[in-house]
Amino acid sequence: MQEPLAVIIRSLSLFFLVWLSIRLIGKRNISRVKPFNFMSYIVLAIVATLMSLNLVNIISGFIVLLTWLVLPIALDYLSIKSEVIHQLINGKETVLIKHGKIMEENLIQLRLTGEDLLAELRSKNIFNLTDVEFAVMETNGELNAYLKSDKKPVSAHDLSQKVAPQAEPQTVIMDGNILNEPLFSLGLNQEWLKVELEKMGVALENVFLAQVDSSGDLFLDLFDDAVELPQPKVKELLYASLQKVQADLSTFSLQTDNKTAKGMYLRNSQKLQDLLDKLRPYLLN
Amino acid sequence: MTVASQVKQTLATLKGARATLGMYTAQTGDDETQSVYTNSLEMTDNIISDLEDQLKTLEFEEPQYKGN
Repeated sequence: MQEPLAVIIRSLSLFFLVWLSIRLIGKRNISRVKPFNFMSYIVLAIVATLMSLNLVNIISGFIVLLTWLVLPIALDYLSIKSEVIHQLINGKETVLIKHGKIMEENLIQLRLTGEDLLAELRSKNIFNLTDVEFAVMETNGELNAYLKSDKKPVSAHDLSQKVAPQAEPQTVIMDGNILNEPLFSLGLNQEWLKVELEKMGVALENVFLAQVDSSGDLFLDLFDDAVELPQPKVKELLYASLQKVQADLSTFSLQTDNKTAKGMYLRNSQKLQDLLDKLRPYLLN
Repeated sequence: MTVASQVKQTLATLKGARATLGMYTAQTGDDETQSVYTNSLEMTDNIISDLEDQLKTLEFEEPQYKGN
């Protein structure tokens, strides 16, 4: 066999082999990969290169590939089973700040300077060291910080505000194609979508992206950005009309001289006010 | 505008709101939201029936404006 042809065939088959091995090792972000797995990626790559250039014996090359494929997977399984092995392979996370104080000896152990620590914190958008209650260096080298309770971002819970639960929106049109699976998972179908599009006066071909939120409202983005779409404001309108009815009822209660009618208007106006308070988080968000 | 026609207008707005609320009750996927909406529907129904009764009384009192 001619040499170039052999190289091509070897490269191609090794490409698929290495691709398969890396898929088998696992799905992880390459920048957050554990040092150990990183090593096996490199070994796999180098051995594959050497094999495709026929610089090493094919058989021994395969053995090396297999070893470096099986070992990380086996060790991953073992570290799931046993905490000791997990720590042995991946190391242990290091606490760098505790109760707002820097643990200098741990910094030295990681060979980090104070400036490194500050830089890591800044990359998390923390510029003031006094804001940090607790910070830990994970085994993959990432720094995670827990802020002091008065420096944490405000949540709805802090404001004792009720918010409506919201599930993730589903994308139902992508690049002008209707996606059936998300539609079905919402209990809707293509007919519904076509009717909604018709109501908005938009052709399916013109839709780049469409999402349905958990309350069933449809949001569109068109290819033609010059077209201004009415975004759904039905909930806001509903809230406003309920408010109007409530105000009307109060007015009636003031206008009428009839005792029973006055009582009825007042009672219902109060009921509607309660209703508005209850519906507010669901309708205005 | 007579009192009766004012009440009628309010009733119409409320019925419209009830219909929209009914639509959201049907199409929302979340159980908690759905129960809040269902509760609200019941409450609105009560208010609607109160207003309808009042309307009957008003039309009885002022028969000359009936149908306005």
